[in-house]
Amino acid sequence: MFLVDAPLVARREVARGMFVLSLDAPQIAQSVRAGQFVNLGWSPGPLLRRPFSVYRTEGDRIEVILKAVGAGTAQLLAMTASDTISCLGPLGHAFDLVAGPRSVALVSGGLGVAPMPLAAREARAAGMSVTWVHGSRTVDELCSEADGDEVIWATDDGSRGFAGTAVSAVPETDVVLACGPNRMLAAVAMRWPDAQVAVETYMGCGTGVCLGCAVPLARGGYDRACKEGPVYRAADIDWSVLPAHLPYAISA
Amino acid sequence: MTVDMAVEVGELRLRGPVLAASGTFGYGTEVPLLERRALGAVVSKGIFLRPRAGTPPPRIVETPSGMLNAIGLQGPGVEGLIRDYAAQWAQWDFPVLVNINGETAAEYGELAARLDGVPGVAGLEINISCPNVEQGGLYFGNDPRAAAAVTEAVRKRTDLPVWVKLTPMVTDIGVIARACEAAGADALTAINTFVGMSIDLNTRQPRLSFRTGGLSGPAIRPLAVHLAHQAARAVSIPVIGIGGIMGAEDALEFLVAGCAAVQVGTATFVNPNAIAEVHDGIAAYLASHGFASLAELPRYLPRD
Repeated sequence: MFLVDAPLVARREVARGMFVLSLDAPQIAQSVRAGQFVNLGWSPGPLLRRPFSVYRTEGDRIEVILKAVGAGTAQLLAMTASDTISCLGPLGHAFDLVAGPRSVALVSGGLGVAPMPLAAREARAAGMSVTWVHGSRTVDELCSEADGDEVIWATDDGSRGFAGTAVSAVPETDVVLACGPNRMLAAVAMRWPDAQVAVETYMGCGTGVCLGCAVPLARGGYDRACKEGPVYRAADIDWSVLPAHLPYAISA
Repeated sequence: MTVDMAVEVGELRLRGPVLAASGTFGYGTEVPLLERRALGAVVSKGIFLRPRAGTPPPRIVETPSGMLNAIGLQGPGVEGLIRDYAAQWAQWDFPVLVNINGETAAEYGELAARLDGVPGVAGLEINISCPNVEQGGLYFGNDPRAAAAVTEAVRKRTDLPVWVKLTPMVTDIGVIARACEAAGADALTAINTFVGMSIDLNTRQPRLSFRTGGLSGPAIRPLAVHLAHQAARAVSIPVIGIGGIMGAEDALEFLVAGCAAVQVGTATFVNPNAIAEVHDGIAAYLASHGFASLAELPRYLPRD
């Protein structure tokens, strides 16, 4: 885990209102794995840090993806090159992408695309072919960046690709990784109990001490999204107790 | 110029006045970035006799300059705490106090007896912000007799230093402070979180699953400074100030207001090195104002 003041070096829009920020954070860039996150703090900004999955890395840079949904994200998007953002990370457990399986489906809804570019890179390095399945409500909200040997788009209104949810558009593969709204992940758990899912929770510290990011477990009790998670075996979560909609988390 | 930062809180000699607050530091085994050289002491996550699952999510929500939490004292129970952590604490060069919780005065007493003499446990901090099931859920900390009864139940069962963490949700904190002092407390921690509530206007429901939560962070700091000051004026035992300390100047306010030491909590969530930075900032202030030690810092503590 590293704590670095990372200069903002670039920003690009990848869907309507959805931006990728690029930060210069060498130690984190060199050690982060797919599914792990950074806890970002900025000034002026909210009191608590906000967790963001690492989207991509390139050399010394890490990228995070966000939408302007509240005051905090608006502050982040108003920053200009050379402003610094405090980055704590990498945090949490990554996707388990070991060699053996031949194919993986990366299933994402909306901002759930966040951990998938790194996952695609690691899956390919482990010898898997990558099927990229990305969904949103409508075509304007689809992340324009995709990284799969096969790419499947899904929109609720049918304005691009498959008309319906990303989950219902997934072909058969050996391994399924998913990230998106918790109700989407609950549907993943129904269909693929062994899928690896990255969940969203409210988060306080990101380091395991506050117990704020409780994830209800199917076997009873809670553990911490920031420490034991955010990646879980889908069937291990008690989806009925995990809040279905969160105003922030990946989206601040 | 080196400043002597040591403080004595009752029988406990601490190398510095900045302590990690209960519930914000786990059992001291997390927060790897922290510079432990500056830690005066750690107060463990609150513990009950038996394991507790805690409350369903959402457990935390940010509010203006603060946060509400309702964790529900999730924890392994006293046996799990002793088994998993006490031996590590015994190796550390700063003391660890255990924050104890119960639903009856007798439960607090049992916890004290169980922890008494366990290597690694340097003291107890009683959380009296728990509902008393024998009094229909009235909080121990809101009633001077109940607060005294809990303090006495613990005092009788242990030779360890006993601190009592006071709730701010009272009409006169001085009355509770004096009751705890008379019942044998060695020090007081002032204050615990304020009870608060936040409503989600989309669902028109409370944002926390528990409905209410404890408010911490800079939002409560002036309230906390005042209450810690009132407690310090009411008793002659040491008072440890806590509430919204983010930096050294905040901590110095509590110290000048009459506190012997301070606890830092929410700030650690934001900055894992907050305790070291607060410690160093206090030392720098003392040095730049010509004080050779923390003990020389003048306190504003009129006894009228």
